[in-house]
Amino acid sequence: MNKRDIRFRQILSACLCLVATTVMGAAAWAQSASPPPLAPLGDPPIPADNQQTAAKVELGKLLFFDPRLGGDASVACGTCHEPSQGWAFSEDLSRGYPGTVHWRNSQTIVNSAYYGKLFWAGSSRSLEAQARSAAKGGVAGNGEDDIMEARLALIPEYRKRFREVFGDEWPTIMNAWKAIAAFERAELIQKDTPLDRYLQGDRSALSEQQIRGKAIFEGKANCIACHNGALASDEKFHNIGVPYAQRWEEDALAQITFRFEQYAKGVTEKMYREIKDDAGLYYRTKNAWDKGKFRTPSLRYTAYTAPYMHNGTFFTMEEVVDFYDRGGVAEDGRTTDFSETKSALIKPLGLTDEEKEDLVAFLEAFSGEEILMDKPRLPEYAPLFSEADIMSE
Amino acid sequence: MDKLSIVQRGLLALVAGLGSVTAVIADTADTGPVPAIKFDKAKAELGKRLFFDKRISGDAAISCASCHVPENGFAHPDALSPGYPGNGHFRNSPTLINAASKKIWLHDGRLGTNLNDVTREMITEDYIMNMDMRIMQERLKQDPVYVEMFKKAKMGEPSNGGARNAIPEFLKTLTSRNAPFDTGNMSDAAKRGEQLFKGKAGCLACHNGPLLSDGKYHNLGVPENLDVFRDPLNHQTFIAYNNFQGIPNFMNLKRDLGVFVQDKSVAGAEKRKGAFMTPTLRELKYTAPYMHNGTIGTLRAVVDFYDRGGGKDPHKDSALKPLKLTNSEKSDLVAFLEALSGDPLTGKAFVWSEPYPEEYPVIADWRKARN
Repeated sequence: MNKRDIRFRQILSACLCLVATTVMGAAAWAQSASPPPLAPLGDPPIPADNQQTAAKVELGKLLFFDPRLGGDASVACGTCHEPSQGWAFSEDLSRGYPGTVHWRNSQTIVNSAYYGKLFWAGSSRSLEAQARSAAKGGVAGNGEDDIMEARLALIPEYRKRFREVFGDEWPTIMNAWKAIAAFERAELIQKDTPLDRYLQGDRSALSEQQIRGKAIFEGKANCIACHNGALASDEKFHNIGVPYAQRWEEDALAQITFRFEQYAKGVTEKMYREIKDDAGLYYRTKNAWDKGKFRTPSLRYTAYTAPYMHNGTFFTMEEVVDFYDRGGVAEDGRTTDFSETKSALIKPLGLTDEEKEDLVAFLEAFSGEEILMDKPRLPEYAPLFSEADIMSE
Repeated sequence: MDKLSIVQRGLLALVAGLGSVTAVIADTADTGPVPAIKFDKAKAELGKRLFFDKRISGDAAISCASCHVPENGFAHPDALSPGYPGNGHFRNSPTLINAASKKIWLHDGRLGTNLNDVTREMITEDYIMNMDMRIMQERLKQDPVYVEMFKKAKMGEPSNGGARNAIPEFLKTLTSRNAPFDTGNMSDAAKRGEQLFKGKAGCLACHNGPLLSDGKYHNLGVPENLDVFRDPLNHQTFIAYNNFQGIPNFMNLKRDLGVFVQDKSVAGAEKRKGAFMTPTLRELKYTAPYMHNGTIGTLRAVVDFYDRGGGKDPHKDSALKPLKLTNSEKSDLVAFLEALSGDPLTGKAFVWSEPYPEEYPVIADWRKARN
């Protein structure tokens, strides 16, 4: 490249910058430095290879509540994501497969359709993949593809519906996950919360107290740093100082599962022997700096989803706010075992009691009406072959 | 085997050959008692506790003994094994007595390595015990009795590998003993039955050696157990198994293919469809019903089945011909078959009788304890 070219490029680039600045405006410039604002929730993204149809959604609803998609046919998706418990599970740790207890809190699946990273450590990239992993995990559904697929094939109603919806000659397990994802994208969406209405211009949707809380959320408490955008989640990984689950000290089944997870996730022998806290993202990346980091959860629907945090250590929103106010430290002084990776964003906030109340009041605006529905009647098994068929063989 | 015994056997075969066409393969002289196997006591004791422990299945609802019941000769009285909760099964639970003297296991003979592998297969298979063995290991580590027993067995801390060694060690203790056939205390009827077994009925052709099994595969034309297809819980396990074995068109399959699953591409594989491993005849008194799918309820009915020349199948073994046994010959044969059963292995030596804890104890001072 000769000198004249360089000069020409510099001029061109300067012009482009000028144009860009004019078109995008000052707000756009500011945005690159500060987090995206809270926004009303739109429609969820629909993957190109799993388009929504009414029949698929209906099939997905049946499958979601069908315990035959699990090891011993006693636990369904809806067992740990129980509609009356916020489509989550209202204990600190999820109940897990019979004979076990899980090691993390069951998250609500309301609005899970908007996430690009599912599970607390973001290990699944789609609802389809999430459903599959949950149904198969040893302390979750403990199902295997071959037996679950065989069960579906022996339920005439499923054969008919899989054929209609997917064109399957026999129901395939991958399409079961697709149908469940379609159900979640259609029925487990909430975008008409007080906050959505407020952000769409209905100033009466929030109380005075909530509006004060919003200012604290976006200002002094700086929740917006991570809980931002329409989903109120940056979908990034942070260590905010959540302490280890006390249940690991008290519950033998929880101790078993805790060690199993270390074993299953392939940590070093030394780490397996010594670890006493959930290392979160580290299990996926094996980078030391990822220890104790979890994907920011949405704040939507949280009025129904207590307890909170990846191990359900806080049972009320007031406790959560107090935890942040102390700079990521629990009331008893406990914090994460991985303090070296704790986010610099987490520091004592100096909130007054009134400010905390305002903040809690605002957090309630992320939830609308409770989403409840009747569990469907499940289709029954029937022999695949007629008597004549099997006698003639 | 030393040279002399080869000569002896040759003579025996020659003598037997004069009397009967079918007895050239072997004589009942080769069948007698199953040699006891040396075992490590501490390891076998650990294996026994594991064998009867429901916590080594996925949902902690069934143990090995749920399908291999001591009172039933470590088999199960149902035609089809119960299987893991939420499922049925498609085959009869075979006896585990003398399993440690075998070289090949399962009705279709799909495992021919060692009992360690068989143990793994049974514990992890989704329609059998459906256990993630990594969870199993951590359950064992949570039980101080296991921690102690593993140590005593010189196997370090509880582990998957240790459990898979200990259960086969326990199985070594399950050897037939004191069968009238072995002790020489057979009734006259049983003695007459023995002659039929070696001669006219030709049973010895396949049921030979100490276990009374040639360890080979034969197609007898045993009819399908239609409950496999009538009950979807059974059928689903049949489908899952055949799917996993790579059987084409497994959804429409209505025949248990037996040994065929082992190698679908070998020359003559087609002819192996419906052939199953010759089972041992020891401990039959306890292990009814019979055949790979439990379709024959009594020994008399088994004898009747052979007397008819077996069942119907295009690949049926040509050795099976109608036997033309008289009623009293059939009774004698049954008496002989019963004389192949020894003492029941139901005492404390073979059954874990201590209760298991209802809950695992919590590891105290967990924060400081090494995992």
